[in-house]
Amino acid sequence: MLFNSLEFAIFFAIVYGLYLVLPHQWQNKLLLAAGFIFYSSWDWRFFSLIILLICIGYFCGMKIDGSKEAKTKKLFLSLSVVSSLAILGFFKYFNFFVSNLAGLLKAFGAPVEYHALNIILPMGISFYIFKTLTYPIDIYRGKMKPTKNILDFALYVSFFLQLIAGPIQRAKDLLPQITAPRRIGLNDFYEGCSLIFWGLFLKIFVADNLSKVVAPVFALNSSCSGAEILLASYAFTFQLFCDFEGYSSMARGLGRVMGFDIMLNFNLPFFAVNIQDFWNRWHISLSTWIRDYLYTPLFDALSFIRGNPRIYITLLVSMSLMGLWHGAEWTFLFFGLYHGALLVIYIILRSRFHIKRYIQPKSVFGQQLWVWVRIFFMFQLIAFGMMIFRAQSASHLFFLLHRLIFQFNGGAPKALLFQFLAFACPVFIIQFGQYKTGDLMFIYHRHWLVKTVIYAIMLHLILGWGVMSTEEFIYFQF
Amino acid sequence: MMEAKRNEIKKRLNRVFGEVFDDEKIEIFDEMTAKDIGEWDSLMHIVLVVATEKEFKVTLNAAEVGELKNVGEMLDLLCERVIG
Repeated sequence: MLFNSLEFAIFFAIVYGLYLVLPHQWQNKLLLAAGFIFYSSWDWRFFSLIILLICIGYFCGMKIDGSKEAKTKKLFLSLSVVSSLAILGFFKYFNFFVSNLAGLLKAFGAPVEYHALNIILPMGISFYIFKTLTYPIDIYRGKMKPTKNILDFALYVSFFLQLIAGPIQRAKDLLPQITAPRRIGLNDFYEGCSLIFWGLFLKIFVADNLSKVVAPVFALNSSCSGAEILLASYAFTFQLFCDFEGYSSMARGLGRVMGFDIMLNFNLPFFAVNIQDFWNRWHISLSTWIRDYLYTPLFDALSFIRGNPRIYITLLVSMSLMGLWHGAEWTFLFFGLYHGALLVIYIILRSRFHIKRYIQPKSVFGQQLWVWVRIFFMFQLIAFGMMIFRAQSASHLFFLLHRLIFQFNGGAPKALLFQFLAFACPVFIIQFGQYKTGDLMFIYHRHWLVKTVIYAIMLHLILGWGVMSTEEFIYFQF
Repeated sequence: MMEAKRNEIKKRLNRVFGEVFDDEKIEIFDEMTAKDIGEWDSLMHIVLVVATEKEFKVTLNAAEVGELKNVGEMLDLLCERVIG
């Protein structure tokens, strides 16, 4: 049941109709039931997994808060974290780990026979496990109190707008919105609708069309030139952004019309001026999760390492694990490692060589130009990372790199360039407006006539060229 | 006496801030927070922690420093660690 499907529209219309007439506690029960129906529409077999995670999180949260002894608190925190990570590890990484271990043993002359388990990856597991993990950790750190009502916690975990692809909102942010009555103002309703429509446009018109442009180039049997691979990497960067931001925007909009404030997941990432800036703008719910629950504790745990190497190791390990969070593939590990390396290089250039002192134009024009040069350069680095992300395997990645470097001019990518520009330009124009005004609700805050024209154009593009076959969202596989 | 030592630490910390944020004109003050310096995010935070550790030869905890309300509290923490 995708957000951009007719099935979901009917499902949401029924849920929303009931939601508006029910009192607060019954609204929560309705949303809980909706979450279970929504998840079961993907795969009812993993329904029990969510129930198990809810029980573990709720029970451990209560025990951590209720215990006076530090040892007991730590025990229940460990129980919760280890069991959640064990579930994630089994479903997501078991076969990857075993096959690579067998390969390693074979390389050392000790071949072992192994049979990969037929494990189906539960939809959205990385998202809801990361959500449940924040709860006992934040209680342990004294940042929040546990909820006494298990149904409220169950709704936090299984909230259908965040269940399959996030945002990974913290319990301390979402639970208060669940426990307190929500108000829906007329402005919330209109803003919500605007976000839903923007999300639909990004998904149906941009992402799903770019998917058709990108897929042939990244196919395993493709004989594309390096120039085509470069263009397809640009296109995939836009596709991934529009796919995920489309989903996140719809989730935020649907939440807003129900009185929820769902966190922002993307803040104009293509306008980042450096890699640090990029990670403050891209998949914010994941990057802040990694920052608070992995990167800072890891940095503190490595206090025996003195000086800057401690920063470099923390960054490389955290970003590699962030890459692996996406899936059990070497390409995801390389993607994380690549971003970790970029951050390390950035720190070295800044802190050791003080590069900022040497390249800082004095005139206003020079400074503005310098910003755009940095944005352009950053986009190249991001797109290269996305090529690593999109490669189907490590060997496919090396094939792409080989083509990119040694067979750059093998074909004329004019058609590809035209298609990329046709679908990416409308997004860029709107984002430019958002960037210049500093207003993410740029369209919504225009004069009613301008707004109407923009919406009419978007609707025309969706109806004329939108992909109506409801392609799955890329991040659903994670 | 304590005030003089605190001022001395403040001067040295100011130098650390200048180095880390590449701004020689930076002037730290007790109420200063990450919001006052545009580039003070999680990445620069650990760079700042490492640079402070190096300058004052102390061991700091990034999470603990992150919990501090402002630079004034950071100075108090440093005074505690350096002066004892």
